[in-house]
Amino acid sequence: MTAVAPTRLELFRAAGCAACDAARGALKAAALEEDADLVWRDVDVLDELDHAVELGVLTLPAIAIDGQLVFTSLPTPAELRAALARYRTARR
Amino acid sequence: MLTIGKAAAQARVTPDTLRYYEREGLIQPADKTASGYRLYDHEQVRRLKFIRQAQECGFALADIRTLLAVRAQPAACCGDVRQVAIEKKLQIEGKIRTMKAMSRALDSLIADCASETMPVGDCPILAALDKAAARA
Repeated sequence: MTAVAPTRLELFRAAGCAACDAARGALKAAALEEDADLVWRDVDVLDELDHAVELGVLTLPAIAIDGQLVFTSLPTPAELRAALARYRTARR
Repeated sequence: MLTIGKAAAQARVTPDTLRYYEREGLIQPADKTASGYRLYDHEQVRRLKFIRQAQECGFALADIRTLLAVRAQPAACCGDVRQVAIEKKLQIEGKIRTMKAMSRALDSLIADCASETMPVGDCPILAALDKAAARA
């Protein structure tokens, strides 16, 4: 049986984004509650501009799951959990 | 107080542009003369220069409206403006990427058409575009 790679979540943001700082903790907790193996990455768009453009990030903050842009603004923790659950079902 | 012509000249825009900004809700005259001519003060000339400068940096009028709103909020901070600028940069970089892809697609079409004297009915560029249209 081959091991399935853990889901990778990227939060694209700009340094100094107060809204991201405020929401990040609750979102990360919800994401890990939904998928304990999830790999969470905070991405400063200015450090990885090419990667952000490649995924089609045009507004901040944005969230990509396994390289797919899923949210173009901050979701609620429940919306993020639902998206991760849908993603996991689709992956099976 | 300055007339529309003088205010526009100070900000290096045309009076028509200034009227356009007014229609778009970006600026309002400070006053009007008894005969209805628009009058502008120095704060509005400053605002006008700000709008022109922002346009030169690639900001659309909708972005400029956001920037002006942020500028007017005492509680706003530089990070809010920075975020708008970063989003604009992302959009520009995205467009550059798209245009580079278009340029590469044109390179291969140009290379396919090696014979300039070929009849237009046999033109591989038109054939490739027709084929792409049929697929779409």
